[in-house]
Amino acid sequence: MRSRMGVLVAAGLGLCLTSCTQVAKGLKAANLGADVNRVADAAEKVDSCDKLKVAPAIQEEYALGSALAIHWAQQGGGLMLSGAAQEKLSTYVNTVGRNLAMQSPRPELGWTFGVLNDTKRFNALSAPAGYVFVTHGLLQGVDNEAQLAGVLAHEIAHVVLKHALNQYVSVKVSTCKGDAMVGVGKSVVASALKNASLLDGRLDLDSDTGLMGKMVDGTVELAGKGHRKDEELAADALAVELMLSAGYDPGEFSKLLGQTSGGGGFWENHPSAKERQGQIKSIVEARGNNADPLARVDVAALQRPVLPASFTAAVGPVKKPTGVAKDAK
Amino acid sequence: MRRWTWGILLLALGVPVTAAWAVKKDEKLYVKARNTRVLKSAVPTADVVAVLQPGQQVTWKGADPKNAQWHQVTEPGGKAGYVFQTNLSTKPPDMELVSKDGKTRTIDPAAFVSSGAAVKALSPGAEKYGKEKGGDYAVAVNQLKKLEGLAKAVTPVEIDAHVKQAGLFPVVAPNTKLGPQPQAKKGGR
Repeated sequence: MRSRMGVLVAAGLGLCLTSCTQVAKGLKAANLGADVNRVADAAEKVDSCDKLKVAPAIQEEYALGSALAIHWAQQGGGLMLSGAAQEKLSTYVNTVGRNLAMQSPRPELGWTFGVLNDTKRFNALSAPAGYVFVTHGLLQGVDNEAQLAGVLAHEIAHVVLKHALNQYVSVKVSTCKGDAMVGVGKSVVASALKNASLLDGRLDLDSDTGLMGKMVDGTVELAGKGHRKDEELAADALAVELMLSAGYDPGEFSKLLGQTSGGGGFWENHPSAKERQGQIKSIVEARGNNADPLARVDVAALQRPVLPASFTAAVGPVKKPTGVAKDAK
Repeated sequence: MRRWTWGILLLALGVPVTAAWAVKKDEKLYVKARNTRVLKSAVPTADVVAVLQPGQQVTWKGADPKNAQWHQVTEPGGKAGYVFQTNLSTKPPDMELVSKDGKTRTIDPAAFVSSGAAVKALSPGAEKYGKEKGGDYAVAVNQLKKLEGLAKAVTPVEIDAHVKQAGLFPVVAPNTKLGPQPQAKKGGR
């Protein structure tokens, strides 16, 4: 009987996951027994998890971003920093990237740009707090600085628009609800989430590596599925604005996208290269023909700077991408 | 996809389109880039009247009739001058400060940049997390610390030199010095 009642109430709880407060209060008031009261308590805890849906504090973003950056560097076979030539390459990528980032809507983040040793994948990644990575394989596929700037600007845009940070918030909420459902109340992670849900919704990730690991693992899992199509298009649009602001020709970014296969398969959320190219063309045309002197861009003044000799020396011979969709995060 | 369809999509994404720029004379605009220079005339080598930081506001007077890439403004101290077009924005940038309580502060933009408060390092918890995982993760921690050192060394001075060499737009100035600029050996716009 007890287990049957438990199943029934648990099923009811499952149906009211997002707003159970009133149901839980009613159950408690009816005083139907210990089992029902326990489930009603869980329902209230599930409901309070929604209070975690707040923008993370900047310190929380730094902690998450740093841990994710460590993760991406490890997964990418480490960073290209061996010897003077590779250090010079990193300095060059940071020069291009930081110029763009200082013109972005988040100019004061501590922007850091790195090159991953990975030569097999044509990929770029980012993490909250201003970490941006490109693979060695991607650098072997770019023809000029405007193409590199386009890739970096797209990743800067993901950070500015807080796409990975939003994934992290959903991990916080789902982990909290999962813990409440199964009655895990004493673990460090569960306690931290519960306390945060009762306060301002923010987590001190630096205080506990177990908590940080749990949140990082969840965010990595979600990030592996890629961003939504609308987020990718928004990142492209902001990337074009950053390129126009700095004086780069966005047509070169479009050209590079044309060398990748775009959506489909594992990256099914990604828009097609054709769709992305269409948007870039549309934005540049709109800015070039704009009657407003503040909005109009002198398209003829946009540049496609050649890559420095030190770049080619460190990166090696040019290799064109072989149909692998870029931008993992 | 047809052009009007893209227009609808851009609006839905909140991408700035023409209407977002509709600014009238004497209205306020935000400065968006680090070390934004206000120059005495509409040429990049002119004397520096003021140097502004992200979030500070200027009063817009209009585009220079001879070169629309330069815009006449009045800086917060009341001095008139010219700012490069892409330094200006209708929206304020996010100014984020790491404070001990983890909250974001609203502060004076110029004081914020000069305080160095914006500069971060790998978070202590993340460093511990990576070292506890060991192996390649611990290696990654040390590499990231080295990379952050290299990144920090890329200051507006290095950026300005690269921008001039590559022929890009002069948006991020190398320093906050006022008065005459040193003459560039080559390049520049």
